[in-house]
Amino acid sequence: MSIRRIFGMVLRYFLYFKHSFDRMSDVFYWPTIDLLLWGLTSSYFRSFISDKNHIIMMIVSGILLWIIVWRGQYEITVNLLEELWSKNLINLFVSPLKFSEWLVSVVIVGILKAVISFSFAGLVAFMLYKVKIFSLGFYLLPLSGLLIITGWWVGFLVGGLILRYGTKIQTFAWAAVMLISPFSAIYYPLSTLPAWAQKVAVFVPTSYVFEGARQVIDHGSLDWNKLLVCLAINLVYLTLALRFINSSFSKILKKGLVKVY
Amino acid sequence: MDNVLEVKNLVQKFNVGKRNEFIAVNNISFSLKEGEILGLLGPNGAGKTTTIQMLLGVLTPTSGAINYFGKDFSRFREEILEQVNFSSTYTELPWNFTVSECFEFITYLYDISDRKTRIKKIIDIFRLNNLLDKEMHQLSAGQKTRVNLAKAFLNFPKVLLLDEPTASLDPDVASYIRDFLLEERKKFNVSIILTSHNMAEVDEVCDRVIFINHGEIVADDTPDNLAKTIDVSHISLYVKDGLKRTIEYCHNQQLAYHLEGRDIIIDVREKEIPDFLRKLMDKGVYYDEISIDKPTLEDYFLSVSQQKRR
Repeated sequence: MSIRRIFGMVLRYFLYFKHSFDRMSDVFYWPTIDLLLWGLTSSYFRSFISDKNHIIMMIVSGILLWIIVWRGQYEITVNLLEELWSKNLINLFVSPLKFSEWLVSVVIVGILKAVISFSFAGLVAFMLYKVKIFSLGFYLLPLSGLLIITGWWVGFLVGGLILRYGTKIQTFAWAAVMLISPFSAIYYPLSTLPAWAQKVAVFVPTSYVFEGARQVIDHGSLDWNKLLVCLAINLVYLTLALRFINSSFSKILKKGLVKVY
Repeated sequence: MDNVLEVKNLVQKFNVGKRNEFIAVNNISFSLKEGEILGLLGPNGAGKTTTIQMLLGVLTPTSGAINYFGKDFSRFREEILEQVNFSSTYTELPWNFTVSECFEFITYLYDISDRKTRIKKIIDIFRLNNLLDKEMHQLSAGQKTRVNLAKAFLNFPKVLLLDEPTASLDPDVASYIRDFLLEERKKFNVSIILTSHNMAEVDEVCDRVIFINHGEIVADDTPDNLAKTIDVSHISLYVKDGLKRTIEYCHNQQLAYHLEGRDIIIDVREKEIPDFLRKLMDKGVYYDEISIDKPTLEDYFLSVSQQKRR
């Protein structure tokens, strides 16, 4: 792996970020709108319950943590799409750039943008609702790490599909990760889900993270065993997704990169 | 001169449907010498672009071997691509990047020691100073071609693959680029493979031409030698008297001709030209102006393309 080439690709995506109002709005605008809508909704609901601040903390921390999953997968899928839209894929791969280096670059961009977006949304949440997401303290690190890994494997999975089927399935780049959101129990306890959905949630790593975050908010502690289970599931999915996107790239090389559009 | 590229028994098959396959490139072998400019010619769909894609590693060959600088391309891809580059009209640089931003990130993909100096030099050579801050979508087709071509020189390539390098360029810029290619070859011994539909350009620039049709190499020779295989010259006459008799004679002798007013261009085999002119004289045809054009590479191109179509 070449750090220079990876840096070149990270630079390419940050230059794109600088030029694209769409991408700016993805990082700043939508998280703010989510916070406003959900925060105001939970503010309304808190008039019906006794533990007034708890509900806001639950909802707002859910929004903030979901940003990490979202960004992790979004940077992989949308940056791949961007190369297809701009017909630039050939220019990249006639250079010594390896596919694995491209993958690493979009993962790095995902981490950096997640940090920017999460920090910005965290600031907005504090200003609007006095919610201090960083009060989760050290626990925020493993929880965020597990969430971004989920973003990666979803991104690799969808990226592999886009390589195989092209832009006609591009909507998956935005929509696919939402499939796991109901089972992730982002804004509500896992026990709220129907029994069958709880069985599905066992295989959805993000469900462990959001349950864990609520545990930290409620009790100030974390069940590390559950996080280890989450890590194990995440690593299995990540390995499979990586194999899938690599095989998709090899497969498309047999048809020719110019055929992907 | 050493070979910088050797292609052996290259085959590319594509599946068409579940059972059929289409052979785009059929067992071709050729080499490229250091400092040589090789033209890859052929009608649309002949297999030129497929061949170039395999040479760039963006299409995996079904079988065969590609060696650059004596090394297997499939094993030493990164090392080899450091010394190879490509420009084409069918790829684009990011549409919302300025020209300088395109060059900036691309230089990081190659092992270039002094990026800023190299970029500045390329900008000067390709006369891009006034375009640097323009975004790619603001450029004309010709300007984009020039930027794409400049991009191909960023890494001091030893081998360049150029697909229609002067397409959409103004004649003066195209001529400047052709001179630049010849100069680069002279100074740095750069080896170039180029495809073009401009036969005059191929004739001017290329040392050797490979003609591909239906995925197979049908000729491999210098432009002059290929043109010489065609023995039909074009005789242009401005007929003052006897145009009808001339046309009748062409019909009788089954000679192809093209008429514009009183100007007639007739295709005649080289060795039959004296006899043809004498026959016209015998028939009382009186012409004012005459020119005889020897066969060109374009005639060869048309001849082979038409033969294969039949």
